[in-house]
Amino acid sequence: MVRFRLILFIFVFLFFLIVLRLFYWQVVRAGELASLGQAQYGRQITLTADRGEIKTSDGFEIAANKLSYLIFANPKEVKDKERLVDVLAPILAVDTASISALLALDRFWVPIQTHVEDDVKNKIEELNLPGIGFQEQSIRFYPEASMSAHLLGFVGKDNKALDRGYFGLEGYYETQLKGKAGVAIVIHDASDRPILAKMNDNAMRADGKNLVLHVDRTIQFILDRELKRGVEQYGAVGGMAAVMDPKTGGILAMSSFPTFDPRHYGEYSDDLYKNPFIANTYEPGSTFKPLVMASALDAGLIKPDTKCDICAGPVSIGEYDIRTWDNKYTADETMTQVIQHSDNTGMVFTGRKLGLDRMLSYFKKFGIGETSGIDLQGEALASLRERDQWYPIDAATATFGQGITVTPIELLTAFSAIANEGQRMEPHVVRMIQTADGKEIQIPPKVLSKPISSKTAKVMTEMMVNAVDKGEAKWAKPKGYRIAGKTGTAQIPVEGHYDANKTIASFVGFAPADDPKFLMLVIIDRPTTSIYGAETAAPIFFKVAKNILNYYGIAPTE
Amino acid sequence: MKRPIFIISSLLFIIVVLSVARVALVNSISTTGIELANLETEMKAQKKQNELLKEQYLQASSFTNIEAKAKELGFVEAKTQVYLSEPLPLALKQ
Repeated sequence: MVRFRLILFIFVFLFFLIVLRLFYWQVVRAGELASLGQAQYGRQITLTADRGEIKTSDGFEIAANKLSYLIFANPKEVKDKERLVDVLAPILAVDTASISALLALDRFWVPIQTHVEDDVKNKIEELNLPGIGFQEQSIRFYPEASMSAHLLGFVGKDNKALDRGYFGLEGYYETQLKGKAGVAIVIHDASDRPILAKMNDNAMRADGKNLVLHVDRTIQFILDRELKRGVEQYGAVGGMAAVMDPKTGGILAMSSFPTFDPRHYGEYSDDLYKNPFIANTYEPGSTFKPLVMASALDAGLIKPDTKCDICAGPVSIGEYDIRTWDNKYTADETMTQVIQHSDNTGMVFTGRKLGLDRMLSYFKKFGIGETSGIDLQGEALASLRERDQWYPIDAATATFGQGITVTPIELLTAFSAIANEGQRMEPHVVRMIQTADGKEIQIPPKVLSKPISSKTAKVMTEMMVNAVDKGEAKWAKPKGYRIAGKTGTAQIPVEGHYDANKTIASFVGFAPADDPKFLMLVIIDRPTTSIYGAETAAPIFFKVAKNILNYYGIAPTE
Repeated sequence: MKRPIFIISSLLFIIVVLSVARVALVNSISTTGIELANLETEMKAQKKQNELLKEQYLQASSFTNIEAKAKELGFVEAKTQVYLSEPLPLALKQ
């Protein structure tokens, strides 16, 4: 009996020793052995993150990713280099010399061509050329070609040859769009087949976030088309325009010409990359008048029927004479008529009522002299001069938008106050950000300031409706709609004086006047068929406005 | 006498069962690597096909393409729109 127990005890003891040893190797030294195993059989792979896509308000991907290939060669494996060059060159549309030079290098790997399309890759693959391989790549793809190119920007390379967004949305939202690459280790057996084993945690990889815009693809298409036609028709150097929802500040469309193709940005001059609607400064001319008039109305200093007692002729300020654009003068003109006739002398009267300090205070409330905060890369700042640098002539000319510079987006944002019951909205292109795991982050509308009361906004709106109905641009207005607007013809300063033949012609307005669905600014740079906003920018504005009203199904009310 | 024999037999039985189980498990896992490789290949092919189709869809549904196709088919811009604002001389079933 004792011997049996002894034998049993020995067996149990040996068993216990084995368990202890197993515990030591499989638990205590587990990490170290796993690393050794990975080092021996594991392969590190980089998990590239997909760049986030940019979608218009209807979910259409206006900037997407597309599959392409990098074709590489192993020169040491290629026996007949001449034949390979003769075969590849016509397929890739590349000169033979560049391929020959690459194959002559003493390397194991040389890149022959990047961003090769799938059908070209398949053609080459079928030839079974020795020493040739393919690596998948992702490139940026813009299905609407150059539509809204300035809004989007483009994806180029940084100094490490990695993809990077420049200008527009690609530049501004680079951090959200690019995502984060991850690293994984995959274990392979001796035959190079993957083993179902523990892999490194690849949760570090995160695809880029998608952007959903306020931009309406239909309105963008209409704006692009009409602006391009207008620039050609009026023989202009260029043009730009944007449409905003005044209630939210959402940018529904933005367009500029000349433009570039973001797919082939390298073929265009650098000057074309910046978005002139946010980066260029200009003297707004008469489109500035409603802001000054609204300020005086809001301050209670004038009413729509207040009579101008200096409008009978030119107004002298020092050595200067302020004249109307057509040299026609009406004594005792009302404020409503001043806007209707775009009368500079009437604006000087309004400016004098306001006084410089109050006028500058209202400019600040309207955001003049500040950036708008739009979410696009490249916005310029058009600063106002310091208070002690304002002379009487500057105060006078500022009332009709000369001697003062703004960016188009600054002016458009200021007008959102008139269209939106006195509330100035922050312009925004992106409405929502979508994360890779489906979470949606809404970007809410933001009120920047309330420069005028809603009552003043209504009164100013009526004055602008009157200006459209009875002013110089009435011939172009679509029938049956109440549209508020103002023409602008600003002379361009050249070497200290204004050139009478070169102008920035513009039109700003919103519709329907009683419940604005859109606010738009159209600017034509140096038109040649006519220098006036009423004959160039206004017709373009009204064509686009009519299309938008039809698109929204808004019937005429008159 | 019976008890020790029982304990030894039980231990031997457990050893045999565990050995057989280990062999069976290793055997089943050994071929999953091939299946994994096949699945990865198929997933890659499907993903590629998906991307190519998406590219075709985006191209086809772009306004630039639709406008060009519409012109080819003879469509023109609508010059006028008609809005029905007067009530129709009809009794509509609500």
